[in-house]
Amino acid sequence: MVRDGGRARRRGQGELEGQVLGALREAEGPVTAAWVQERLGGDLAYTTVVTILTRLLAKDVVARERQGRSFLWTPTADVARLAALRMRRLLDGERDRQAVLASFVTALPPGDEQVLRALLDAAEPGSVNSRKTAHTRDGGTED
Amino acid sequence: MGVFVFLPLVLPLSAWPVARLAEGHLHPRTATRLLTAVAVVMAVCSTLCLALLMVVGTAQLPGNPLPDGWSDPEVRAAVPHDEVAGRVAIPALGAVAVACGRTLWRHRRVTRRAHRALAALPGPTVAVLPDSTPYAYALPGGRGRIVVTTALLSGLAPAERRALFAHERAHLAARHHRHLLAAHLAARANPFLRPLRTAVVYTAERWADEEAARAVGDRRTVARAIGKAALLSRGTPAPTLAALAATGPVPRRVAALLAPAPAARTWPSAFTAVGLAAWGAAAGALMSAMSSANSAVTLFRILHSATPL
Repeated sequence: MVRDGGRARRRGQGELEGQVLGALREAEGPVTAAWVQERLGGDLAYTTVVTILTRLLAKDVVARERQGRSFLWTPTADVARLAALRMRRLLDGERDRQAVLASFVTALPPGDEQVLRALLDAAEPGSVNSRKTAHTRDGGTED
Repeated sequence: MGVFVFLPLVLPLSAWPVARLAEGHLHPRTATRLLTAVAVVMAVCSTLCLALLMVVGTAQLPGNPLPDGWSDPEVRAAVPHDEVAGRVAIPALGAVAVACGRTLWRHRRVTRRAHRALAALPGPTVAVLPDSTPYAYALPGGRGRIVVTTALLSGLAPAERRALFAHERAHLAARHHRHLLAAHLAARANPFLRPLRTAVVYTAERWADEEAARAVGDRRTVARAIGKAALLSRGTPAPTLAALAATGPVPRRVAALLAPAPAARTWPSAFTAVGLAAWGAAAGALMSAMSSANSAVTLFRILHSATPL
């Protein structure tokens, strides 16, 4: 399952995590690491698959149960949850991401909260009579 | 030319009033473009000046590979306190190079890692992440992706969600990340340009707000969406969002949206007080940029004439 039409590209750990979790979610029930390895096309070492499964276990997106000498793995979260976890980790680790990511939400300094609440209260429909003005001016916002 | 050699290093200070005025009185789109351009020009001039000073400084070091003519008294006379200036310029230029390199490298790394984190998700543009932290980002690269968490979406009314998506789409469509990156690099090149960076970050957000207001057709909806989103993220303990505290004063954005739409005309008339101030400040910024370039060119010429051919 090499992506991009077999272009030999080294896959990042995160990408592998997504693929392993995806494979688990396609399974009918709990499966072994060997099943996952086979499912992913066999170009991954067995130990790599186990390593990734263990990492996913630490992130709480898969569960395992012992069966004989091996483990059976089941997904407890979906791919979106894993992506969310990885995004969070990325954001937490980067202090200087403003250069990259234009964000909608910005944290409020303590004093700003009151100002903001007052502004929003004033903006509630019906509480302000400037609404009509704002609407008419809207039409004039041309490039 | 005396102390004028150093002008490009300190002239960025003159851009501060321009930033203040542009933020407050120009259409956000115009302001973003103007401030980014001024920041880039000033950063380039300042770095060029540092490079030339460094050449003068290096030429005096024994055993340097530069032409002997560069350590002539005439060249040294062009730079006051040449010994100190030259020696200071060397580490300063190194610091600028390292800082800019790191910013670029981080930019690439964050974009790449974020895209990889989202690689498994369906949908070409919007990625909705199940997360209890409310946040939304416009992620550049390729066709761009909008990243938004369920926590944020669930706190917004349908119309406000449309405003949120319109805002993020505006970031991607207008490629705001290029302006932001340019402003960040400029601030790395000369710390005096930091207020310009802050201003560009703010005006880019305002630009996207205005675009969203146009798309949604109601300024108040956008204002409410921004306000609610900020209040939602207020209690989150995640250090990520606290680190963004300096990004932009949310109340100012909300207030701007509750006010009538800014004039789309590129420049205010020169006959109003605001217009006069804006024009004056812009002319000042242009002049600083020009004299930065002038100093750099003069120093370059002196070195050029001192080079034996």
